[in-house]
Amino acid sequence: MADAVIQIRNLVKEYDTITALNGVSFDVKQGEILGLLGPNGAGKSTTMKILTSFISATSGQVTVDGLDLFANPIETRARIGYLPESTALYPDMVVWDYLVYCGEMRGFTRAQCHERIRSLAGRVGLIEKLKEPIHTLSKGYKQRVGLAQALLHNPKIVILDEPTSGLDPNQIVEIRQLIKELGKDHTVILSTHILPEVRQTCDRIVIIHKGEKVADGTIEQLEGKLHGTHELVVGVGWDGDDRGEPIRQELATLPGVLKVTHSHGASDPIRHQVFEIDAKQDMRAAIFAWANDRGHTLVELRRRSLDLETIFQRITSEA
Amino acid sequence: MKQIWVIARRELASTFDSPIAYISATVFLVATGLMFFFGIDGGDDYFEARQATLRPFFDAAPWVLAVILPAVTMRLVAEEKNSGTLELLVTLPVSDSRIILGKLLGSMGFLFVTLALTLVFPAVVMTVGSPDIGAIIGGYLGLILIGTTFLALGLMTSTWTHNQIVAFILGLLLCVFFWTATDALIKVAFDRPPMALRLLTFKTQFAAFAKGVIDIRNVVYFVSVTAVAVAASTYTLKSRNWR
Repeated sequence: MADAVIQIRNLVKEYDTITALNGVSFDVKQGEILGLLGPNGAGKSTTMKILTSFISATSGQVTVDGLDLFANPIETRARIGYLPESTALYPDMVVWDYLVYCGEMRGFTRAQCHERIRSLAGRVGLIEKLKEPIHTLSKGYKQRVGLAQALLHNPKIVILDEPTSGLDPNQIVEIRQLIKELGKDHTVILSTHILPEVRQTCDRIVIIHKGEKVADGTIEQLEGKLHGTHELVVGVGWDGDDRGEPIRQELATLPGVLKVTHSHGASDPIRHQVFEIDAKQDMRAAIFAWANDRGHTLVELRRRSLDLETIFQRITSEA
Repeated sequence: MKQIWVIARRELASTFDSPIAYISATVFLVATGLMFFFGIDGGDDYFEARQATLRPFFDAAPWVLAVILPAVTMRLVAEEKNSGTLELLVTLPVSDSRIILGKLLGSMGFLFVTLALTLVFPAVVMTVGSPDIGAIIGGYLGLILIGTTFLALGLMTSTWTHNQIVAFILGLLLCVFFWTATDALIKVAFDRPPMALRLLTFKTQFAAFAKGVIDIRNVVYFVSVTAVAVAASTYTLKSRNWR
């Protein structure tokens, strides 16, 4: 992939008796928000810890912004902003001093640190907490401090391990919005258990299960892969008492349709019958034309989508 | 280099943010003060000796440093491991050796502050007599060297564990062992201990400083042991990669 900022090839991490990663490969493109999903212990955090040089891999290659991660750990760390799952900060420090400390460790002068903290504090919602000791902050504010240190050097790549865990619903919405904004200027890798978060924030997902990559693509691509066929839900206005059997038979004769089942009857307020169709191809245009020809009232016509929970469950149970 | 200073500054501030620093400094001042004025091991005390000298202080101080310095260094890495802050620290663009050197330098700040507080002893001696200034300077240089070596050993044990108490006990045992136990063991093993073996102990190496003699070989010895402990600490920190 030409514009890949991160390239991971055959990544293996073995602990004494456990293989945490077993040949994982994927790329992350410039400006992409990638969701790294997987059950507990699947290898997500291990992947992130390797990317940030916290631990090394047993074998495999990782390239970060064109640099070999294992040969240039310091240079690649400089390009990455990292929010670990624990978000452990020094409790005895004041937020401002902590961020200055992180900035100085990244080679900035004090004046540069001050300027960056001022410009970042509003973005992460920390303005009123800058002079407070970290140990007095709530979990949500600590998370914001962790995010601030990860963004302080305006890194090309931002790696966030469970960024919304332990936050209240309002904070979650704010952090998700921030992550979406980050995607405009940064490449973001995000690990989470919260699947709606992935649908709302991520451009693409990689699912890791038992140390192996089991899925990689957009949510729509994964849905298509799981379905195998095109599934449609069709609602047709019908006054008869036979649960729309004549309509079901008509639909079944359309070219490309594999199977039609009657789902249920409804009146809201138009009385209609709902059918589920499996087809070889997307039949929406053909069904619209059929209804128009036959003078039926089309009340509903949509592709049936799987929710991400279902996709996740199916993929990780199949693997 | 800047990163080492940044870490050292944070460590020094954090050390003095904890009561352990104040307790350790107080213990050092009280213990060395008592031993200075009232003697150690039943020897002559300051008043009986009727000499303007700091020898009793320089004889006593390494003992107390061997006990208090591991208490100061125990948190350096063990606490970061336990709280999880180590993950953020080592994923910053800084090498493991700089992290260790920064932490050692920060803890040396505590040593310097504590030793500076004892300057009251030479001040007292100077008011009543004319002590050998060279001996005092030599003695303090020796304390800085042996203190730094104790700090490096304590730092090393702090990298071995998540538990600060374990780090303290191991550090204490190592410091006391190298200060005096090696000497005692050699004396038990040999009627006439070979000089080469006796030179391994901190006590032998420090003896010249206490007399005011600055021998470059003693300096090299303490610097070498410190360097080995720093290298071992860096190695342990790096070893997270292989687990």
